Amino acid sequence: MSCKLVVVLVVVAGPLMAQSGSTRLAGRVPAAALPAIDSIIAAAVAESLPTEPLVQKALEGSAKNIPPERLVSGVRRGLLQLRQARIIVRNAVPPGQAVAEGHVAAVAAALARGVPGPIVERLLAMAPNEPPGPALHAAADLMAHRFDPDSATELLVEAHNKGLRGVRLLDVAVAADHELQRPGGRTPAEALAHVRAMLPNVPVPEAAVTRHGTKGS
Amino acid sequence: MSPIDPRLQEALDGERDAGELPADLREACARLISAAELLQTTPRLSVATHVMTEIRQIPAPVQSHGPLHRMIRWFGRPRAVTVRLRPAWTLALAAGLAALLLLPSQQGSIPTPRASEGIANFVGHFPGARSVEVVGSFNNWSRGSLHLNDDDHDGIWHVAAILPAGPHEYMFVVDGERWVPDPLAGRYVDDGFGAGQENSVLFVRPAAAQP
Repeated sequence: MSCKLVVVLVVVAGPLMAQSGSTRLAGRVPAAALPAIDSIIAAAVAESLPTEPLVQKALEGSAKNIPPERLVSGVRRGLLQLRQARIIVRNAVPPGQAVAEGHVAAVAAALARGVPGPIVERLLAMAPNEPPGPALHAAADLMAHRFDPDSATELLVEAHNKGLRGVRLLDVAVAADHELQRPGGRTPAEALAHVRAMLPNVPVPEAAVTRHGTKGS
Repeated sequence: MSPIDPRLQEALDGERDAGELPADLREACARLISAAELLQTTPRLSVATHVMTEIRQIPAPVQSHGPLHRMIRWFGRPRAVTVRLRPAWTLALAAGLAALLLLPSQQGSIPTPRASEGIANFVGHFPGARSVEVVGSFNNWSRGSLHLNDDDHDGIWHVAAILPAGPHEYMFVVDGERWVPDPLAGRYVDDGFGAGQENSVLFVRPAAAQP
């Protein structure tokens, strides 16, 4: 009886979740693209992948007036990244532990920012029960500033081991970037070494936002 | 001053009959008597009454303008205004004005974010722009919900908003049609639509973690 109930709930919940995404897209996504996007979202639901990144990508493309073919292609690319992300998350989390939907979305976002899969796996393994977003974005920030991916990851793992968590890992990336831009010309390796030496006491960036920059972190 | 003829004086005093005087004196006597009578006569109207009577007789100008025109003329004419202030009230008024000028303004402040939210400040330099808004994953990429302001018209547009903590992708929309990544965001990601366009990435710190 309870087994049947669970199955019914899963069977009903799938189309309902897909429908909620479709409902949000109706009227905003071009009619020519809507069926294909609906099927992509339905596939994500069937595979128990998060659908919100796909809905957001469809809304984004529609707001930007992206032609329907490219719009569908962009959403499909998002689905592929989610699939790849789940594989990475499954490899990183301990056996038997459920794969969190938030982890999959965060990993997909990191992949989109160019963080290599093996680096993502190392950072997930560093703290499998914590939200991986800050560590992954910190890694992406460091790589965007041309730090060596492996060295940058080692710095983040060491920062975590010394007690830094969550957004404080973003501060590590900010500190490394500041060291790199300091007058006198530090190499990336020197900048990372300098930040490593100050762990866990990396400075907290000014929270107040100047009139010259967008700051959330 | 020539002395008056005694005969004329007697005639004026009533001591002699004026008819007995020679012709020239009789004529002078008659003029003096009439002058004395004129001086003794009280005018029927005062000067002021006479002037006002004359004014009333002038036809009044026709009021051809409407009430709006009369009101404008009323506001435009200089008027004497007398203000009587008690020193105590004057001091209180001055203190109130000073407080308004010196205390930090609360206008434009935004509510306190919850623990799972943070404050994001969006700033962009768009000289000459007529409008700038920010559109992103935090507002479902909907236009018209988060506009930047340039109150002092220096080309620097700004808005602060409370957003859910975590990463967000966004772009600026300038003048309602030009999509521009935030040049100062520091984080970017390809938008995935094949044209090489990049979204800006913002990581909003939870309020609890903001220093």
